[in-house]
Amino acid sequence: MRRAPLALLLAGLLLPSLARADLVYVLNSGDASITVLESTTREEVRRIPVLREVHHLLLNPERTELVVGDSMANELLFLNPDTAELARRERISNPYHLDYSPDGQYLVVTSLRRDQVDIYEAGTRTLLARLKVPDKPSHLAFSPDSRMVFVTLQGARRLMAIDLTTRRPGWVTEVGPQPAGVLWHQGKLLVGIMGSDQVAVVNPADGKVERSIQTARGAHTVFAAPNGGPLYATSRVDSRLTVLDPDTLEVRARWELPGGPDCIAFAPDGKLWVTLRWVARVAVVDPATGEAETIPVGRSPHGIFVQPREEPLPPAPVPVVEAPSTPVMVPGVVPAALR
Amino acid sequence: MIEDTYAAFTGWLFEHALQPVLYATGMMEWAEDIFAWLDFALLGLFGIAVVYLVCRPLEAWRPVERRQDGAAIRTDMVYTFLSRLGILPLLAFVLLSTLQSRWEGWLTEVGVMPPTLEELIPPLRDHPLLALAAYIIVLDFGEYWRHRAQHGFRWWWALHAIHHSQRQMTFWTDDRNHVLDDVLAALWFGGLALLIGVPPGQFPIILLLLRLAESLSHANVRLNYGRLGERLLVSPRFHRLHHGELSAGAAGKNYAVLLPVWDWIFGTADFRRDHYPPTGAADAGEAMERGGWLRQQWAGFQRLALTIAGRA
Repeated sequence: MRRAPLALLLAGLLLPSLARADLVYVLNSGDASITVLESTTREEVRRIPVLREVHHLLLNPERTELVVGDSMANELLFLNPDTAELARRERISNPYHLDYSPDGQYLVVTSLRRDQVDIYEAGTRTLLARLKVPDKPSHLAFSPDSRMVFVTLQGARRLMAIDLTTRRPGWVTEVGPQPAGVLWHQGKLLVGIMGSDQVAVVNPADGKVERSIQTARGAHTVFAAPNGGPLYATSRVDSRLTVLDPDTLEVRARWELPGGPDCIAFAPDGKLWVTLRWVARVAVVDPATGEAETIPVGRSPHGIFVQPREEPLPPAPVPVVEAPSTPVMVPGVVPAALR
Repeated sequence: MIEDTYAAFTGWLFEHALQPVLYATGMMEWAEDIFAWLDFALLGLFGIAVVYLVCRPLEAWRPVERRQDGAAIRTDMVYTFLSRLGILPLLAFVLLSTLQSRWEGWLTEVGVMPPTLEELIPPLRDHPLLALAAYIIVLDFGEYWRHRAQHGFRWWWALHAIHHSQRQMTFWTDDRNHVLDDVLAALWFGGLALLIGVPPGQFPIILLLLRLAESLSHANVRLNYGRLGERLLVSPRFHRLHHGELSAGAAGKNYAVLLPVWDWIFGTADFRRDHYPPTGAADAGEAMERGGWLRQQWAGFQRLALTIAGRA
């Protein structure tokens, strides 16, 4: 007990260097906008209008640009992750889920609505191959050697392996009703089976379903915490987070999280930022206790990303009307009538 | 605050009433679409409330004619609730979204990517309200020509006559349509909306605005918007003339839904501001005029069949 004051003093001295003002990007798929929150104040610091329907986002291999897919607008948006400024847009066919291969060579995009999987050369976005696949290609994951990409086919109950060297499908296997997210984890593929309460464990070599883990109804996606931490499975029907042991895949905890938890991003302080699809909020979950607080965002929030940052973002600049030929827009506020 | 409360309410409704049904019936892949539909259904309820609050006081203030036929009005109310809480516009939109996806998929495979209106007219990208106005103008233009077709094709008029058969026209009359006519209208409107790339978030707003204008234009109120206003916005006077007994069928006037400019341009406008003719369609028949919902629908099917067979 006598050490407590000393610990408090040390904590006080350390606090300034630990000060954080991380930026949290939330894609509001239902009202055509991106909410940018500051992690410490929990306040919305930017609202970036988009054209139609944004779902997923990721950093480019150089980690200099945040790439956002606006599926119905046929656009990729490239944001500066540090400043939330829109750098440019590029035309691309119906980007739903997208990811770069681990070697940075390929950008693979699923088109849920058009039943297509597109393989692009990552640097130039040159289309290398377009695969017509069965119903509703949803999420994707790569093998660590960048040789294979695995795509869930939501309307076809299947998982498909695509060989990136030949750019042709390999095996296709039935995994269960409405498969959604897929994650490569320790040599296995973990697939959220949304029409059930199971996460399927699939052997990536032959597509065999080796076992199933019971999580909760509406099993959606599995996310791995950084540095070998636990796995977190979201379930949209039971509205639950299930914590899995990363080595044994055994269930460690189950946390209720009303609102339809969907995607997860991990903040530098270890907290989980979770989009709640049906209640227009994101939850900030303490991984030590499972306790959550929620923050309002836009309608049907889907993809989410946390950009580490130490200084608060300066106030938004006054919107400037660009010349029509310039494809850059200063982030502004969407009129209330259109939200 | 209102947005947050609305989100909490719709979220609760979806999580506790709709999503469990989707899960139980193996339809979770449609979860996002049904969640979006929830907004349509609630918007329909809200739309009825707004229309009632605007139109009913106006009808009480300066009615064109006395409300003598309560039964006919009640039938129109059935139409309104079936239509606005129904799922026809949603089905058309979802169905067309799927068809559009297939169509776009095929197009992209042959190297064509359909542009959005904002790509064709770049300033619209930075001015969402301007874009909204542009969409409304284009859609209203489409509605004008659909309406012309309803009167111009004999088989289509066979269905549309139900709408014109009402002799006790009130703001409820707007939805008095044959179901096939409604399906065609939804496909036309939804198809055009998708063709020009209306953002899904704006679609309900556009629908609400057009529906409000259409209900008001059917109201039993002696109201015109003045010499200039009559040329800018469809008024109850302007549309009553369209419903006049002598204006039925291919001889019609004043087809516009929101903007009279289309009638002006295409020579079908009648701007007489003192003219409030009796409404109805002389050739409609007793079943269409006085029947209940079911009887009117059946009469419409019969008349369509006879027209196609060349016997009407």
